[in-house]
Amino acid sequence: MAYVSMGEAHRRITEYLNRFCDAVSYQDSSMLCRLLSFSSNSPSLLSLADALNVFQDASSLIRQSDKFSEYGEILAHLFRSLQSYRVGNLVEAYLAFEKFANAFVQEFRNWESAWALEALYVVCYEVRILAEKADKELTSNGKSPEKLKAAGSLLMKVFGVLAGKGPKRVGALYVTCQLFKTYFKLGTVNLCRSVIRSIETARIFDFEEFPRRDKVTYMYYTGRLEVFNENFPAADTKLSYALQHCNPKRERNIRMILKYLIPVKLSLGVIPKDELLQKYNLHEYMNVVQALRKGDLRLLRHALQEHEDRFLRSGVYLVLEKLELQVYQRLMKKIYIIQKLSDPARAHQLKLEVIAKALRWLEIDMDLDEVECIMTILIYKNLVKGYLAHKSKVVVLSKQDPFPKLNGKPVGS
Amino acid sequence: MNQGGNTQTVTPLDPNNPIEKRYGVEGSQVQTSPYQYSTGSDGTTHRVDNQVNGNYYHPQPPVSATGNVQETPNTTASSSTSGTVNMAQDYSGYTPYQTPSDPQNYANTGYSNYYSGYQQQQPSQSYPQPVGAYQNTGAPYSSFQNPGSYAGTASYSGTYYNPADYQTTGGYQSTTYNSQTAGGYPSTNYSNQTPTSNQGNYTSNPYQIYTPDAANIHSSTAAITPPVHYQHNYQQWPGYYSQTEVPCAPGTEKLPATSAYSQSFPVSGVVANEIPASNGQPAPSYAQPWRQETDSTQPPSQQPAAEVSASNDAYWMHQTPNQQAYYPVPPQNHYQSPLETKPSYEIPIQGHQRATYPQELKSQSSFHQTPLTYRQPTQTTPSVDTQRVSKIQIPTNPRIASNLPSGYTKMDKGRSPAGAIQTPAYVSVSVSNPKGHTTAMPEPGTFPKSLCGFVERAFARCKDDREKASCQAALKKIITEATNDGTINTRDWDTEPLSTVLNTDVINTEPSSAPISSLQNKSPARRPKSRWEPFVESKPFVKPASNFTSGVKFGGWNHQNENNKKSSESFQKVDAVTGSKPTYSAQNSAKKSFQRPVKRQRFSGGPATTIDDDTSSDSEKDLTPYYSSATSLASSADEKKRRDTRSKRFEKVQGHSRGNDIPKPKISNVRRGTAMRLGQDFDESGSRAVEDMDWDALTVKGTCQEIEKRYLRLTSAPDPSTVRPEDVLEKALLMVQDSPKNYLYKCDQLKSIRQDLTVQRIHNHLTAKVYETHARFALEAGDLTEYNQCLSQLKILYAEGIEGCTLEFAAYSLLYITLHSNNNRELLSSMSRLSKEAKKDEAVKHALSVRAAVTSGNYVMFFRLYKTAPNMNSCLMDLYVEKMRYKAVTFMSRSCRPTIPVSYVAQVLGFAGTSSEGTGEKETDGMEECSEWLKAHGASLVADSNGDMLLDTKASSTSLFMPEPEDAVAHGDRYLDVNDFFTRT
Repeated sequence: MAYVSMGEAHRRITEYLNRFCDAVSYQDSSMLCRLLSFSSNSPSLLSLADALNVFQDASSLIRQSDKFSEYGEILAHLFRSLQSYRVGNLVEAYLAFEKFANAFVQEFRNWESAWALEALYVVCYEVRILAEKADKELTSNGKSPEKLKAAGSLLMKVFGVLAGKGPKRVGALYVTCQLFKTYFKLGTVNLCRSVIRSIETARIFDFEEFPRRDKVTYMYYTGRLEVFNENFPAADTKLSYALQHCNPKRERNIRMILKYLIPVKLSLGVIPKDELLQKYNLHEYMNVVQALRKGDLRLLRHALQEHEDRFLRSGVYLVLEKLELQVYQRLMKKIYIIQKLSDPARAHQLKLEVIAKALRWLEIDMDLDEVECIMTILIYKNLVKGYLAHKSKVVVLSKQDPFPKLNGKPVGS
Repeated sequence: MNQGGNTQTVTPLDPNNPIEKRYGVEGSQVQTSPYQYSTGSDGTTHRVDNQVNGNYYHPQPPVSATGNVQETPNTTASSSTSGTVNMAQDYSGYTPYQTPSDPQNYANTGYSNYYSGYQQQQPSQSYPQPVGAYQNTGAPYSSFQNPGSYAGTASYSGTYYNPADYQTTGGYQSTTYNSQTAGGYPSTNYSNQTPTSNQGNYTSNPYQIYTPDAANIHSSTAAITPPVHYQHNYQQWPGYYSQTEVPCAPGTEKLPATSAYSQSFPVSGVVANEIPASNGQPAPSYAQPWRQETDSTQPPSQQPAAEVSASNDAYWMHQTPNQQAYYPVPPQNHYQSPLETKPSYEIPIQGHQRATYPQELKSQSSFHQTPLTYRQPTQTTPSVDTQRVSKIQIPTNPRIASNLPSGYTKMDKGRSPAGAIQTPAYVSVSVSNPKGHTTAMPEPGTFPKSLCGFVERAFARCKDDREKASCQAALKKIITEATNDGTINTRDWDTEPLSTVLNTDVINTEPSSAPISSLQNKSPARRPKSRWEPFVESKPFVKPASNFTSGVKFGGWNHQNENNKKSSESFQKVDAVTGSKPTYSAQNSAKKSFQRPVKRQRFSGGPATTIDDDTSSDSEKDLTPYYSSATSLASSADEKKRRDTRSKRFEKVQGHSRGNDIPKPKISNVRRGTAMRLGQDFDESGSRAVEDMDWDALTVKGTCQEIEKRYLRLTSAPDPSTVRPEDVLEKALLMVQDSPKNYLYKCDQLKSIRQDLTVQRIHNHLTAKVYETHARFALEAGDLTEYNQCLSQLKILYAEGIEGCTLEFAAYSLLYITLHSNNNRELLSSMSRLSKEAKKDEAVKHALSVRAAVTSGNYVMFFRLYKTAPNMNSCLMDLYVEKMRYKAVTFMSRSCRPTIPVSYVAQVLGFAGTSSEGTGEKETDGMEECSEWLKAHGASLVADSNGDMLLDTKASSTSLFMPEPEDAVAHGDRYLDVNDFFTRT
């Protein structure tokens, strides 16, 4: 940290105050955003933070001028937060920022127009980010992280401010998305339900009216929620919407969407091209897709095991695991095709013994009981058409379309 | 004496009641209005007033027909003015009445005695009571007493005021009564009484007097006159009420305040009405109503009324001025009209005036105000803070005002004719009454002329309000003492040195100055501080108000207004608690209680506490005496100290709350109160506050050596003698583990062990062991509720780093989520939380396999795992077996054709042991069990040529169903079966 003279510090702080007040009085949202954006680590903010640490009595500076003192509460908390942020005391920084955010929201409420929406977005974003950082600090200190939770309730308050009839309502979806992020991080996903309900049912909201980026984010998160619920068709709709409307240049976002969309699509029997997986660096799905294509159960199991942690964390593990049945189906289809080549007349009779042998080749040891069990499940779930003759240990396949395709319908429907 | 007096009074009251009833018909309007007001507005104070009024009224109604009544009211108003003045003082006095009447009131009686003197004087013309009035003044000081008195009044009203309106108020009053009686009031009162035993006597006397009067009234025209007086009193009272209320309203409750203002105005209007009634001699009428005594000065009184109406603040201001003026005037008036006829009357008035109104000399006009002020003071006194008081009153005022105006106007009309010469009319009526009273009773309350002169001289010495207030107080004190001593008539008042009186002035000066400006404590309360001045709300103000009031009291007042009953209850509570602060804080009423206690203290401790009162600024001091009086403990220095600290605490609260909104103080009070109560549970002396509580110290150290102990849900603090220490618990755990008894017994024992651990705050491996043991037993028995409880506790314990069978329970947890909660997210998170080491654990591995089998529906795998389950895993799986079997059969029925041997089903679905390797016997057992199960689930079975049972899959595929579990019970816990219940016991 470069040495900052007292005068320089004073100058910087005054400059910042002037800018802030100008931004407010000229309703310059972008300037305000820049002034509030902590996490950008912009040089001007950093130098201001240094100045604040040198010139400790910034509050008196605020009080000196009527212009500044009008936003005295906002600025004082902001300065304190910035100071703490600069010296790495994130918990303190969060606490001060939370107070700042409250004061800012209060002020925002008084502004008739929605000119400061962008600035409010920044505040919401910073609150969440700071809370996450503060929680990290708390956890490393062996304390219970609770700041993100506090940020969640603050964001909920902001949502309440925006959920009205005025022009500010278009900001509600942004806050909703920040709430989603918070709740997903906290693992309190069920809290999303109330926000979703108000977004989807309140008449003040017209979904198409919201900014596109918010719509995409919203669809992404609600799609993820549907994945949790294993409601694949709905998840497919939402995630596909997100994918279609996502800025194609934002590959990272596209990748995030695909991370959930691919398992959903796989569950619906839609297999992506390898190029897609490569383009978006989704290698963890490569083997899964491959296993599905080949009917290679071993590969699927390996793939699941290999990326177990990742799949568990993203919440698609169970979805992928369920692909097993489709792999069985594929395997049986292969056996059926091979039999057809050798003996077309009896190709529709698959002996359990044969299936067990095929599985053994895949290094999966199953006795006939278990194979029979799998076959009953496949037939029951309509992945295989036919019946199982228990006495003769044979699966008798339907002569018409013995292995029906899912065609976008979930397994077992 | 007091008690006796009370009882006597009670009887007299009864006679009055009939009268009242009559009134109810005739003068009900007037009465009702006041009542309503009182009820509506302030809980206690208003009620008291109303009651008082009611009492007065009652007498009146019987007296005359409508015309008479009306007139009489006017006259009475004038006469009653004095009465009212007294009444104001009476607030306290009323209570005394009540107390006499109601046994409960005893405490009140003490008050009432003080107060009663006033009241009694008024209603019954119990001039002797005037002496009491002096005492009463003391009572007013103990503003809290006033509440009590209020309650008392309620009783009064109940007795006297039979009319419906009254009844309403009466209900309130009664509630207050109860509370008061129930509360420590009695005790405190008693203690207070003891000091003021004389007062008690007085009250009793008044009562007696009263009754005779009432009787007289009833019987004869003379009776009419008394009623008239009553009416006057009533009117006055209402006016007082309204006035008082008005001031209150401005002070505390904004909304009410406005209304109250209007009301108060009405009150003033009432007064004004009276004045008009007096035929252009409004002033006279006023004077009359207010002071029977100050007939001549009446006109001035009207003016004050107008002033009062002007503004609440003005009221207050007026009050103080009024008091001053009032006092002076009243004495005169008293002397003039009632005086001669009824010395007692005069005396009371004088006493009042002297005590509270030393300054009052100035104007009659002030009289009206003064009465009002008096009442206010009294009312306020309870609240200590005038503002609060005023507030309280205010709420009721509106109603009262509305009602009163009409009634009053009527009264005025009636009066006007009769009282063209207001004084005369009044005089005539009042005179007759006085006569009756005087004749009926030798009144202790009547003061010798020399005493009046003494009082006048004393007031003449006063240069300003403060001095007057202090002078009043001093005079009150002196007179009460004299009365108590019985030297009031023997002493040479002409030669009595004024120094004693004037000395107090110095003390008083502090309080007196501020009162007016600051609504709460300042002027009124402090001025009157003198113990004697009952009216001098200043006293209450000073002590209670100063300390608690501002914040706390406000809330308290509000509450009071809202719920008179509550306030009274609080009072009771306070008393019961022996005035311990906790109680105060606990209830909003606490404020009241405080105030009341203060009053009591003053009363009871009047002599001893006087100094404190003078310093009145310290509510603590007041409280201490009060407490001491209330509690026998008072004597101990430690107690005092503790109380002081307690009261200080409250002061702090007040200080905080002062600046804040009213609600806040309330909240804090409430919280504090509960906390205090809690503290009291542990500390009977009640000296402990929650903050002082050492929770560690409260942790029980068990001493019980019994290994076996039945579980009983605690309903109170644990008794160490029934709690087992850790080593015994360890033995108990072993005993349970080895016990051959059934799960219910074990569960019971383990729960009692858990309870003992909890109350002793033991968190260690033993705790974990107990919960693990219990969880296993619960699993074994399929008691998922208990299992979940244990598991959640275990999670906490494990998180604290306490060692245990972590992995085993991780497996259980996993299984539980998989098989029962069916929550994918939960499952995912718990799976992702498993460490690599955990995944190598046999039990965890098994659990994970089970999960895979379940999610894929692999029943074969499931039942194989079921048979190889480690630990208690199979117990959790047990709970899913039924579902899994059903699923499996469904699958098979749908997929397999044409049949499946039941033996295969039994083998695959884990019926009866290991089918393949098992002996033949087992197989057949499994077969039978399986076919039973299949039949129970709607499967269709056929026999083949070999006699083997086959499952007809095609037929079964549409007929399968899940039967209702046989052991299912409506409440969902089959362990709550009646037979089980009996086996437990």
